[in-house]
Amino acid sequence: MNSLVRFEPKTVTEVAESIRDAATRGRVLRLRGAGTWMDVGHAVQADAELSLGAFTGITSYRPEDLTLSAGAGTTLAELEAATRVHGQWCPLFPWGDDRGTVGATIATGTAGPFAAQLGRPSTLALGVECVDGTGRVIAAGARVVKNVAGFDLTRAVTGSWGTLAVITQVHLRLRSQPAVDETWALAATESTDATVRAFADGPFAPLGCERVSAPDARELGLGAARWLVRIGGNATLVAAARGAIRALGVAYEVDARTWNAIRQRGAPAARATLWRWDSLSSRLRERFDPARVLNRGLLGEVA
Amino acid sequence: MTSLAAQLGRIVGDAHVIARATQLLVYRSDALPGLQRAPARAVFPGTRDELIEVVRVLAAAGAPFVSRGAGTGLSGGALADDITLLGLHRLKRILALDPIARTATVEPGVVNAALTRAGAPHRLHYAPDPSSQTACTIGGNIAENAGGPHCLKYGVTLDHAIRATVVLPSGEVVILDRGDVARDDGTQGGYDLLGAFVGSEGCFGVVVDVTVRLTPDPERVCTLLADFTRVRDAADATSRIIAAGIMPAALELMDQPTIEAVESSVYAAGYPRDAAAVLLIEVDGAAAGLDDDVWAVERLCRAAGARTVRVAHDAAERARLWLGRKKAFGAMGRVAPHLVVQDAVVPRSMLAELLDDIAAIGDRHRVRICNVFHAGDGNLHPNIPYNAHNADESARVHAAMTEIMTRCIAAGGTITGEHGVGLDKLPYMEQLFTADTLDAMCSLRAVFDPERRANPGKVVPVRACREWHGVASTRHGARAGETR
Repeated sequence: MNSLVRFEPKTVTEVAESIRDAATRGRVLRLRGAGTWMDVGHAVQADAELSLGAFTGITSYRPEDLTLSAGAGTTLAELEAATRVHGQWCPLFPWGDDRGTVGATIATGTAGPFAAQLGRPSTLALGVECVDGTGRVIAAGARVVKNVAGFDLTRAVTGSWGTLAVITQVHLRLRSQPAVDETWALAATESTDATVRAFADGPFAPLGCERVSAPDARELGLGAARWLVRIGGNATLVAAARGAIRALGVAYEVDARTWNAIRQRGAPAARATLWRWDSLSSRLRERFDPARVLNRGLLGEVA
Repeated sequence: MTSLAAQLGRIVGDAHVIARATQLLVYRSDALPGLQRAPARAVFPGTRDELIEVVRVLAAAGAPFVSRGAGTGLSGGALADDITLLGLHRLKRILALDPIARTATVEPGVVNAALTRAGAPHRLHYAPDPSSQTACTIGGNIAENAGGPHCLKYGVTLDHAIRATVVLPSGEVVILDRGDVARDDGTQGGYDLLGAFVGSEGCFGVVVDVTVRLTPDPERVCTLLADFTRVRDAADATSRIIAAGIMPAALELMDQPTIEAVESSVYAAGYPRDAAAVLLIEVDGAAAGLDDDVWAVERLCRAAGARTVRVAHDAAERARLWLGRKKAFGAMGRVAPHLVVQDAVVPRSMLAELLDDIAAIGDRHRVRICNVFHAGDGNLHPNIPYNAHNADESARVHAAMTEIMTRCIAAGGTITGEHGVGLDKLPYMEQLFTADTLDAMCSLRAVFDPERRANPGKVVPVRACREWHGVASTRHGARAGETR
């Protein structure tokens, strides 16, 4: 992979030119953000790599609106740092780690352990700027939290693994951090599995609830198999939730950073190898990248 | 050769096909005033198989059609201009309701509030709650990606849609899902075809059935009414509440003209008539800690200048406060025979500024603007009661609306948050989106409906689609010079 010619366009226009040029020459481009998702799908027989390395940085952040826009190549770590000082979260927290880019997170639709409460990429992306396989420069969505103007290109592009368009910028919904945020570890046994799951579905609406296998738990210094439960809210709510957790079994509080290790261990989704290629999906690919310039073969489509 | 109406009658029974102009009169409008189109015929399938067969017959005839639920849409999206109207209101069966999985599978004609009623014995409800929820259908909600007051916390229609069976305009039946959620058979992975379909305003196909998420009723609900002597202060309170990290279930603003209309009607909710604006704020969730949020909201409202903050103490008082909000549009019927319910979204922090600008626009065009909207989302509804039969007044209303839309676009906002583009907002699409983006929207539509027979002429202006240059006319679109 590393021996490939790498394009690093500096502007959206240059991205469009690279794509049109590749289409004309019948070449295939492999898209690269931080390079952390390169081996998750099927192999891509690329002629060149198109890096989003030049599209970095936060382009707009209005804390009072809980929205943020950033270049696709911006790392999650950078977004985390920028939002933290305002008591906010970039709520993607995908499986993997924060060296990954926001563009790749949206492009691969990679969710994480808090998605049920904080939202999935497909719900947090308010808009994308991208260039499709025909070189069209698309600005979909807006920096507003509700929007039904026109057909929803943001939804089509999010989670499409770069096979419809190259994302250059994303508009995201943010969340306020809860006043109190605690993570509790509980012994995972057959009897606690059901009760913890019921707790997760209950009124306390925990931010995350993950079962950590015994080998992982040992590596993380948690001893035996554990449930990790993250609760957030005002002090009264968290106190009540804490009481409810303790009623489920022997529980102790752990550092919230444990979640970073959990996310790193989370299996990169095998979704890219089990892609549903029905007639509509093939037509979608055909309409947006007829020459199969972008990530050809990654999703296992029959040529 | 047999007429199309006769062919359709053979499928659904002659009683469920209308072809006489006088009987079709009722289908000339949806809830958008001032815009009417006469369908050529209307057909009302009563079963899933009939629906699919109807679409196939239309496909074989190459006939364009418009699907319609309850006709409560506010953008002219359900108008059929001399083509077939496909009415779905007879398809109103709840096919399955799984209280453990918290899902329901319904036909498109099921009324929104009926689904919530069906969930009630299990302490579940269907969260998206447009103001028309007692009449509007789930199929229509899917078509428009409908919102509602409680979408602030719980999300819009798409966030509650899991899977849909859809008959494409070609007659092909497909199953759509989000792609990023595991399917019942354990597989996962695919384009977000359901995400593309929801909100496509009937241009991509017809819902045969849809599986939606039901939401557990909150343990506790608390509703507050805060009143302000300046609209700006109410907008400011909204920002303060969100900035404090509180996520209310709903955060609605009503201004003085709206309060006056509501309080003069049978829906009088006890809003103070002399207030410049009221905020209706609902906080819900686990019982523990809810009071803390209520106190915080009360404190923040007072800090922003609220004159009084009232907390509804029982379900009856809460219901009364909400009735005024949900029936505000109806109450405006007292003011004038017609009502434009507008819809736009701006970044929340710009609400105060935008409301000032909207008031100035209203003054300049001598129209009365009533604001009642989802402040927490920045989703404005500047409404104008007027008489559509008065050409001068209609022209002034239209001019004011155009200015408001332009102002919202300039503020980095969008032209619709939940009502859709339909016919009404077509003229603004080229202001909002680039030519490439509109052309890409046409491509997305072509994936589902390459012949553009489903709801033709809506959402994206025909001339924006390069592939169709010189092919189609604007016959089904807005007519030039039409007085609204």
